[in-house]
Amino acid sequence: MKTKLLGAVTALLMAAAPAMAEYPEKAIQGIIQWGAGGSTDVVMRSITPHAEKILGGSVVMQNMTGGVGAIALKYVGAQAADGYTLLMGAENPQLYKVMGLGDSDYADFTPINLIARGVPLLVARPDAPYNTFAELVAYIAAHPNEVKFGSTGPGGLPSVITAMLSSEVALPVIAVPYDGDGPALTALQGGAIDVMPAVLGAAIEGIRAGRMKPLVLIDTTANPALPDVAPITEAYPAYAKYLPWGPFFGIFVKNGTPDAVVDKLQAAFGEATHNPEFVALIEGRGFSMLNLAGEDARSFLTNWQKTTAWLVFDAGAAKFSPADFGIARP
Amino acid sequence: MMDSLHYFLISWFDLQLLGLIALGTFAGIYVGAIPGLSVTMAVSILISFTFTWDIYPALSLMVGIYMGGVYGGSRTAILLNIPGAPSAIATALDGYPLAQKGEAGEAIGISTVMSFVGGAIGIAVLAIAAPAVSEFALRFQPRDYMLLAILGILLVGSLSGESLMKGVFAGALGLLIGAVGLDPLTAQERFTFGIIDLWGGISFIAVMIGLFGISEALMQLHHIDKLAIKQAISRIIPSWGAVRKYLPLSLQTSAIGVFIGALPGTGGDIAALLAYDHAKRVTKNPEVPFGQGAREGLVAPESANNAAVGGAFIPMITLGIPGDAVTAIIIGAMFIHGLNPGPMLMIDRPEMFWFIVGALVLANFFMLLFGLTGIRLFVKIVELPRPVLIPLILLLSIVGAYAVTNSLMDVYWALGFGVFGYFLKLYGYQVGPVILGVILSRLIDENWRRAIISDREDLGRLLWGTLSSPLSAVLLASVILIFVSQTPVWGMAGRGWRRLWGRK
Amino acid sequence: MHDKTRRLPGEAAFSLALLVLSLWLTTIAFGISGFEALSAPGTFPLAVTAVMVITSGLIFWRTARLPAASHIRDWREILPLRVVGMALMIGLYAVALQPLGFLPTSFVFLTISIWLLGRTSPLYALGISVLSVAGIYIVFRLIFTVLMPEGVVPEREIIAWVQNLFSGSPK
Repeated sequence: MKTKLLGAVTALLMAAAPAMAEYPEKAIQGIIQWGAGGSTDVVMRSITPHAEKILGGSVVMQNMTGGVGAIALKYVGAQAADGYTLLMGAENPQLYKVMGLGDSDYADFTPINLIARGVPLLVARPDAPYNTFAELVAYIAAHPNEVKFGSTGPGGLPSVITAMLSSEVALPVIAVPYDGDGPALTALQGGAIDVMPAVLGAAIEGIRAGRMKPLVLIDTTANPALPDVAPITEAYPAYAKYLPWGPFFGIFVKNGTPDAVVDKLQAAFGEATHNPEFVALIEGRGFSMLNLAGEDARSFLTNWQKTTAWLVFDAGAAKFSPADFGIARP
Repeated sequence: MMDSLHYFLISWFDLQLLGLIALGTFAGIYVGAIPGLSVTMAVSILISFTFTWDIYPALSLMVGIYMGGVYGGSRTAILLNIPGAPSAIATALDGYPLAQKGEAGEAIGISTVMSFVGGAIGIAVLAIAAPAVSEFALRFQPRDYMLLAILGILLVGSLSGESLMKGVFAGALGLLIGAVGLDPLTAQERFTFGIIDLWGGISFIAVMIGLFGISEALMQLHHIDKLAIKQAISRIIPSWGAVRKYLPLSLQTSAIGVFIGALPGTGGDIAALLAYDHAKRVTKNPEVPFGQGAREGLVAPESANNAAVGGAFIPMITLGIPGDAVTAIIIGAMFIHGLNPGPMLMIDRPEMFWFIVGALVLANFFMLLFGLTGIRLFVKIVELPRPVLIPLILLLSIVGAYAVTNSLMDVYWALGFGVFGYFLKLYGYQVGPVILGVILSRLIDENWRRAIISDREDLGRLLWGTLSSPLSAVLLASVILIFVSQTPVWGMAGRGWRRLWGRK
Repeated sequence: MHDKTRRLPGEAAFSLALLVLSLWLTTIAFGISGFEALSAPGTFPLAVTAVMVITSGLIFWRTARLPAASHIRDWREILPLRVVGMALMIGLYAVALQPLGFLPTSFVFLTISIWLLGRTSPLYALGISVLSVAGIYIVFRLIFTVLMPEGVVPEREIIAWVQNLFSGSPK
């Protein structure tokens, strides 16, 4: 008992002088921006155990959902910049400003690692009367306001993809909103919607089983997971200026975190992305590994924000102009 | 066939897997019983915890926790009138009155046996008819989900207590509470007053803990000096006669449970409430009136919520589509373990299907075993002196509310709804319809909007679409039928009004 | 316990408050998107608040005309001091939880309330509190890794220290 008390006292003293001890000296909190079982959750929960081993500390992960991820961002922003609270998030905060969801984005955070990027594509009901993007465009032109596109609300991946596609061709469609790509892809299989812009990882199993058919990859190159599906730039080279584009997953700490801590975290998560099991998971789900840190990550984030914010704004889905926040037109 | 049997029995003859399923089920009962600790939470923690394990042991533990947890919610619902989990809300309605009569032991006994029956039915449907059921579930269009949710909200009629008018008000209030936050479809703020903490909405668990746990504890303070009710624990295992008597009802409500569980987007909580309503409608002369300790009111929701477990696995294994929040996390776990849940899983890895079925059967047996043996200790909780029990309930309620999303906001909500619920109860309003409204709010709102958007904002088209689809037409007919049978809309205006105000 | 043929003290005021609340919420619901479209985000809230206004209006009208309950004269019968006291206690608990942390707040809350409610010896209350808080802490914090507010107690440091003690390797 006496030694434990002594320990408590020592611990108190150690807390008073954090610079003395080596990071991490206590459990790190990992705040996952999206719900349990989603892509972000799966990626974070599978990379973290590898990083924990390298760090030599434990990371306690919690899902903090709501407000399109804004609540988790706000929470991490309110914690001390000591590297004991990690934000495990997706791309959404880069659109918060133009969507009117708060005045914070990843500029207020230091990227530890941008892990991977999703490859978007268009999938359709297997019995739909079109097999390629060109046929879809022709069909929509002949039947305006009849084809039902799934959507996940303004700022979500389907809305960005639809905005991107509409910048070159006319797409008068009905956008039926769902709370995520999972429920929307389910609805696609049940015939409630006709076409869904989704990420490859979420659709790949349905495609393999023939329950939905891929129309086109929204990328510049074909994907090894679906070698027969043409990238959109083959028939429509004009889209190349937006691509490659995709939702991403990343780990962040608040700006102002000591450099030594940031370096240690970056090293640990950077090494963890090379773990063969993790690589297999990422590739199996059709994601492209990014593994960006430091300046590379910063410029990726800036470019992503420029492209996407202006696309969404030009499509009329944003509340505010990106120019109001100093986001330059690409 | 032989292969299937072999896969089915993997967990039965492996001591480690057997032990893990037993441990999971045991832990699940306690996770389920404590409000604020949920199966969803436990399973997502297990993902990181079992990361380095093989897939079989990891799944064994998760399946056990799931089965045990769904059942465990009934414990606190019966003993303390605090449902440990949303799927046990309906159980509290008749379970708690039984505990107040000193018959908690018997109530737990019968709900354990009926949970077992429900669980078994759910697993049987999963094993025999999974592909057919999931194809059928997929056919549900937004308008069908909307009609199903309206069918659910009509339950207000059964949960209103002394005045239907007060019940309707409470139900509408619940629907409104469920609409608070950023609209999931357009990210428009609704009732948030610019407060970011409200963007995520009001946690439904916080509302439940406030209205049931805290307000009940405050209510109990009226009788603080009364001695705790002595519980008879001699008759725990129900007689064969009792089981046989309730078996038909249990089978019917299990069928409801499996199907609602198999629908993506609806789970055990809605299944249990619909089952309670069904029991109330088909039981012509209950020995004890509903709401005062009717055994039927325990049998129905407990059969249904455990049947929904097997149901939730149906779309998950056959199509990779989660049937509820827990199966969504199990899908994530399967990804991490290198599997690809989806329509091809049954073809690529048929052993996974039969392994899960086998593990579920074991978990169901363990649930029966642990459920019937640990009662004495549990019942002791209600026999604690009230001055100790009430502060403990309050503390546990607050901690539980905090644990849901780790935010103080939920604690404040739970407190606010606790005090509000105290006054509601005091003045003859029921809290059941409020919870019902919160559960169904998003289902109605979102699917109504999807349906009307799909039909280009044209009510006529929506109605035509509904009437021309057999599934939607049947659902619409049930809604109309139940509405007419519960409310006096035709003719008899005078008698109807009296009934509306003075239901008993 | 509620008799629907008699009006309890405060019942009319409560039903009036619900009516006012419903009316207020209706104006907010209208502000979301007005009558823009059948699929607008404000349509469902408007429909729901309309039902609330109608029902709470009818309830108020009906309640106001009920005869007052004659057997209950005293407010204290429907709102005993104990209830008010405990409601205040949990309110204080919630306010103190963040700055002071889970362990000390819960401990003080339990000890005081058990002691006052049961009129027992402080030692008995103290003992029960220590046991209960320890139990809850183990289940929620240690097993389910719910990070309760730490406040003044540096829990994570202590846990890390204890873990080091067991692993036997000095840092």
